[in-house]
Amino acid sequence: MTRYILRRLCLLPLVVLGVTFLLFFLTQRLSPEMRASLYVKDPRQMNALEEVIRQYGLRDNVFKQYGRWLKNVAHGDLGYSPSANMPVAQALKQYLPATIQLAFVTMILVVFFGVWFGAASAVHKDKWQDIVARLISVGGFSLPIFVLGLLLLMVFYGQLHWFSPGGYSIQTDIIIHGAGFKTYTGFLLIDSLLNGQWRVFGDVLSHLVLPAMTLCIGSFALMVRVMRSSMLEELSKDYVRTARAKGLSKYQVVYKHAGKNAIIPVITLAGIQFIRLLGGTVIVETIFDYPGIGRFGVLAAQQLDIAGILGFSFLVAILFVAGNLLSDILYTAVDPRIRLE
Amino acid sequence: MTEPILRVENLSLSFVTENGTVPVLHHLSYSLPKGKILAVVGESGSGKTVQALSILKLLAPNARVDSGKVIYRGKNLLACKENTLRNVRGSKIAMIFQDPGSSLNPVLTIGEQLTETLRAHRKMSQEAARKKAAQLLTQVGITEAEKRLTEYPFQFSGGMCQRVMIAMALALDPDILIADEPTTALDVTIQAQILTLIKELQRQNGMSVIFITHNLAVAAQVADEVLVLYAGQCMELAPAPDLFAKPLHPYTQGLLSSLASVTHKAQRLPVIAGTPPRPGEIVKGCPFAPRCTQATTKCFETCPPLFAQKSRQVRCYLQEAQ
Repeated sequence: MTRYILRRLCLLPLVVLGVTFLLFFLTQRLSPEMRASLYVKDPRQMNALEEVIRQYGLRDNVFKQYGRWLKNVAHGDLGYSPSANMPVAQALKQYLPATIQLAFVTMILVVFFGVWFGAASAVHKDKWQDIVARLISVGGFSLPIFVLGLLLLMVFYGQLHWFSPGGYSIQTDIIIHGAGFKTYTGFLLIDSLLNGQWRVFGDVLSHLVLPAMTLCIGSFALMVRVMRSSMLEELSKDYVRTARAKGLSKYQVVYKHAGKNAIIPVITLAGIQFIRLLGGTVIVETIFDYPGIGRFGVLAAQQLDIAGILGFSFLVAILFVAGNLLSDILYTAVDPRIRLE
Repeated sequence: MTEPILRVENLSLSFVTENGTVPVLHHLSYSLPKGKILAVVGESGSGKTVQALSILKLLAPNARVDSGKVIYRGKNLLACKENTLRNVRGSKIAMIFQDPGSSLNPVLTIGEQLTETLRAHRKMSQEAARKKAAQLLTQVGITEAEKRLTEYPFQFSGGMCQRVMIAMALALDPDILIADEPTTALDVTIQAQILTLIKELQRQNGMSVIFITHNLAVAAQVADEVLVLYAGQCMELAPAPDLFAKPLHPYTQGLLSSLASVTHKAQRLPVIAGTPPRPGEIVKGCPFAPRCTQATTKCFETCPPLFAQKSRQVRCYLQEAQ
């Protein structure tokens, strides 16, 4: 098992290098002048372009430039992001916790309801529970995120005023930027509780509800399907017959025996979905103006903020490998056949 | 003769499929004497396993009982509610299966699977159950029982898994053990060990056993009585010594003559030509008639009833006169 994890860790730099080099290579399609102009704020400074190009070595061979970027990254310097108006590293550090928070809340909803609906659907195959779960699942698959997001926004924000999109309320902002508010984890949901700020907690949570609901629907649909088919398969296995022959209750047969086996593929899927959410909240964060790395990535791309784009993809690549690793480790926790080999 | 502990009466069963209902058992009746081993032999698809599963109502959801009763201690198990059945399953009538590897849950420890059986039927602390579980493992010949309780099925060999299954089945001193081809998936030496173990434990506990097998040699080793099934019908039911000494039904005769033997070397084994009717195929007359060398026109027209002869029963017109 340790060897397996080590092997996976060796993969990490390869993926990160591959992704970033590809993007770096693509940005070279832009002329050095275009790239230099990013750092120039005032049209009157246009004649300074040549100097910027020389200073940053923008005419150098692509490998040389990439090497320079890597060297800086190794020193923790991801460059300056004009779109966020701060160094890329700082921007990522600031926005990542919000995205993780969103992805985490979403995943809890997805796994909880997905496993529940999927299992019920399999146990009551072809009964009304199954039909309802399958309808919801088909609906979830067919509904694009941006449509659902806008719908939720219209209903719950536009009509009912239950939840709010966009940034946190002014009071919240004042409190969290105030001197008395200590940052422990960077996750506002946790930090607000640790600081005993219930109103901040409520505000943060209310900003999470709509994006989390929007994000969860697609993954939920998939989760229901995987859990259902996995459960159906397990329920037909020999050991389930043994469990019944032993005189166990239906609950024990279904949840303890079949459920424990059926959940294994679900865990892998949950891991992958979690990662996908971390890098793929772009649309939802944009719709709800949620301050996460997805929105940061979109703004960077819109404004041709090369350092920002590279930093964003660098982080997503790392998260991708790390997340897969995490899901593998979780996998072994439930499957002794892998754990003990 | 002692009072039978279990009686199967006139059991007919079919599977409901997309292509209509397929009958798999026809009016099967037999009784299991107390403390005896009844072997049920037959080819694949003859209904051996299905009839055994129906005793505890463990059949697939698409199975339908058309008629018949399974009487255990004066109760018809087929008419019992799920809750009543649960009290019988595992504690009064236990079952072991063909493929021990897949019959154990791969993600639960052996200890967990043993103790949960105990705790499902007896009020027992986790600790007491564990102690008893270790005892059971030792009883079925597994050494270092304490340590092995913490292991998972994949860490056991096939023979060891079957021993665990047996330990699990015997955990609550059942009256009846149903063994569904318990040795089929094992190699020959392990097979012999498991057979000896089952016989030994049967004698110690005074259990009755329904032993399902397609292997006549195995049946000969263990059985007190033999029931020969063919296409879901009882062909012959007789005490084992009588049956093996003098099989009456042509099918049983065919089966016995096709056994390999050390004394007749270098000969082609005789076979019974043809194949059994497919499930669902409508057979007029005796289902074995198309393959029978002694069949008469009468055999193709109506199915013979079971003819009783002293302590045995045969479904064949050849035995009608006697």
